[in-house]
Amino acid sequence: MINANKAKKELAEKFGLDTERISVPRARRVFLEVPYAQFRQVLEHVVNGLKFRHLCTITGLDEGESLAFIYHVAHADGTVISLETRVPKAAPVLQTITDIFPDGVSYERELVDLLGARVEGLPAGNRYPLPEGWPDGQYPLRKDWKVGMLDGVK
Amino acid sequence: MANIKIPIGPQHPALKEPESFSITLNGETIISMDMRLGYNHRGIEKACEERTYIQAMYLVERVCGICSHSHSTCFIQAVEEIAGLAVPPRALYIRTIVSELERMHSHLLWLGVAGHEIGFDTLLMYSWRDREVVMDTLAALTGNRVNYGINTFGGVRRDISKEQLDGLLKTMDVLEERTKYYIEVASQEMTLIKRLSGVGYLSHEDAVKLGAVGPTGRASNVDADVRRDDPYLAYKDIEFKVITDTHNDVFGRTLVRVGELMQSYSMIRQLVAKIPEGPVTVKAPRKMPAGEALSRYEAPRGEDVHYVKANGTDKAERVKIRAPTLANLQSVAKMMENNRLADVPIIIAAIDPCFSCTDRMVQIKHADHGRQETLSWQALHAQSLEWYRKQGVDFADLNAKMSRRMKI
Amino acid sequence: MILSLFNLLIFPGFLFLSLFGLAMEFVDRKLYARMQNRIGPPWFQPFADFIKLAAKEEIIPEEADPVMFRLMPVFALTAVVTAFFYIPLWGTHSLFAFNGDLIVVIYLLTLPTLAFFLAGWHSTSLFAMIGATRTLTQLFAYEVPLFMAVLAPALLAGTWSLSEMTVFYQVHPAYAGFNIIGFIVALIAIQGKLERVPFDIPEAETEIVGGTFTEYSGRLLAMFRMAIDIEAVVCASLVAAVFLPFGFGLGPAWGFVIYVFKVLIIIALLALLRTVLARLRIEQMTIFCWKVVAPAALLQLLINLILSGVL
Repeated sequence: MINANKAKKELAEKFGLDTERISVPRARRVFLEVPYAQFRQVLEHVVNGLKFRHLCTITGLDEGESLAFIYHVAHADGTVISLETRVPKAAPVLQTITDIFPDGVSYERELVDLLGARVEGLPAGNRYPLPEGWPDGQYPLRKDWKVGMLDGVK
Repeated sequence: MANIKIPIGPQHPALKEPESFSITLNGETIISMDMRLGYNHRGIEKACEERTYIQAMYLVERVCGICSHSHSTCFIQAVEEIAGLAVPPRALYIRTIVSELERMHSHLLWLGVAGHEIGFDTLLMYSWRDREVVMDTLAALTGNRVNYGINTFGGVRRDISKEQLDGLLKTMDVLEERTKYYIEVASQEMTLIKRLSGVGYLSHEDAVKLGAVGPTGRASNVDADVRRDDPYLAYKDIEFKVITDTHNDVFGRTLVRVGELMQSYSMIRQLVAKIPEGPVTVKAPRKMPAGEALSRYEAPRGEDVHYVKANGTDKAERVKIRAPTLANLQSVAKMMENNRLADVPIIIAAIDPCFSCTDRMVQIKHADHGRQETLSWQALHAQSLEWYRKQGVDFADLNAKMSRRMKI
Repeated sequence: MILSLFNLLIFPGFLFLSLFGLAMEFVDRKLYARMQNRIGPPWFQPFADFIKLAAKEEIIPEEADPVMFRLMPVFALTAVVTAFFYIPLWGTHSLFAFNGDLIVVIYLLTLPTLAFFLAGWHSTSLFAMIGATRTLTQLFAYEVPLFMAVLAPALLAGTWSLSEMTVFYQVHPAYAGFNIIGFIVALIAIQGKLERVPFDIPEAETEIVGGTFTEYSGRLLAMFRMAIDIEAVVCASLVAAVFLPFGFGLGPAWGFVIYVFKVLIIIALLALLRTVLARLRIEQMTIFCWKVVAPAALLQLLINLILSGVL
């Protein structure tokens, strides 16, 4: 049985992460922040090493200068690790994680449509959730986006 | 016959909500399927950022008409965690009771829809009649048939009286008896079994790989249930079994849901027996301190996930909602393989899709409010009877007859 | 001449049949509703539906063949009404009778199904075409058992005329009891012919919207609906005449009452079938018909062959 504190300790030791940046606010919840360069490595270890096999969802946040992405991965015992990473808003490029979690497709498409992230390696398919013909460059979940910005745009 | 492509949706009698499935057929056999989602996107997540917490709570409750309590509780849990609110135990019990009642009405609804999709309308009529009992109970407890509005930050808005709890136990007896009858029907009616068995096959490996949640996953023997794995509300105080099944098909999903109904009845009995006395609410601040929380909740359709980030004001920085249907939709394409056109509706229905949950909202326009009037539930009920009587249909006799027959 | 016209158009012809068909639709819907714990429609609902539908605008798809599209409802309606005249109803003799009219009646009852097929096919809409092919596939599955089931009593009676058959069973009422398997087979086949649950595969609304009738609206759809209602009555009358040949000698008034009663029983049985069953898939339906229903009909034929030698 893995628990939140054990996961925290193991991740901190293995990847040399600052324990200040790993928080365990309550039982079965771990929030940690990793630089994007290290993200893939940490995620793979969380999934394969620590056996967190269920992707709850991916949350995208607009933080002004950068876009943050939180990957919530759950263990069968109820523990959820929220892995946060960020990329600059000017070049918001992510690698897809659909090779690890095939069900991540819709969550990544949401990031593309609503936050304007570019996800490399995302399988081709219909866009989601915005309609065909939605104007380019309009990303509703960005903080500077207002409904009025749709006026007069074809 | 050459391959033909037939559209199921965005408008189609089998779909209660607009989504588009384009199915390529060879004769009656499905070759491939293409999905287009997003017709119900209303931008709720964005709207939540522009509203105060209490406004957002009511908005989140309206993400879905069926699992409204799921979304509002899931959201509220996250916010309460950020604010560090200690919710009184009695309030947690009341939330749990409503949550299990919601599961009942959702599963009974599903049973009816499943019956309708395979042309078995009798099952639809019977299970929806019984669902009505749950809806009336919910209306009596919370004041509403859907979008109960019982939650508030720090507790619940209404207490449940002793009489209501006793009534609840009686209702459970009626429902349990009816559900046993459905189990009998489901295990004996040949055309039903023929139409459900082997349809929409999803192997255990695929279910894990594609992240199937809720009854969809459990019917493929994925032993996961947030209520047990990540206990919230009052679930750690009561005993229940997580129903799993190894049929891996629509029949299995039916058995899981019917089995969960039986568990829910027993849960309600335990909750009624154990409900502590005390206040039902504590005062909550208007501005929530900065922080973040992830909340999980076992909605009738599976795991519901809400992430809330607070920034110290009275409005949330970010609210992320992941409804169970979005997690299950990835499995649908897999389930369609090697099936026939006739099975499309039931396969889609078998994950109990809720597309408005999946797509959520963008923009709300306030309609002009008409005449404001406060009506009690009884008055509203009487008014509906009166309206139908004017149309020449008298439900009063029938209602009386039905309640006698069902001994409520 | 005038009597013939009266017979054709008023009683027991077109007008009576339409009203009787609508009344039976009401009985069917009401029973279906009551068995499902619903209130069901008031008695005039089918009439109201018909009038309302007939008053609606009819839309013909641009790509559809307008002649065929308009012709098919009339064709289906005519075929079922014609079939009715050859069936003995409340007397031992039908309005028109000749040796071999049994075959003609069954043939005439196949025509509406063909009309449904052609109507769906010429609608050129995807759902209608899938419905049309399903109609035809289903036809091949139930038609042969129906034929065999209806021919078996004729074999026993030694005649191909429906009127002579009823005379025969009037003389030997006990012989009708031998045809019980045929009766059940005929009920199942008729359920298929009328495209009702569990055989409503050609118009399964949750799969292919309206099936064959997807593109139909207004008067043309009303005519199709009427044809189906009348078809139900005609099929029930045929089954009543062949398998329930009782009460013909009591004069026209009692004969009529008994006839209506027999039709009611058959309609009630059909309503019961559609209440308790779920819709089958097309391949399950054909397998069921060929592996269960057709052998049962064959068995009935065999029994009657042996009986006609022995008796």
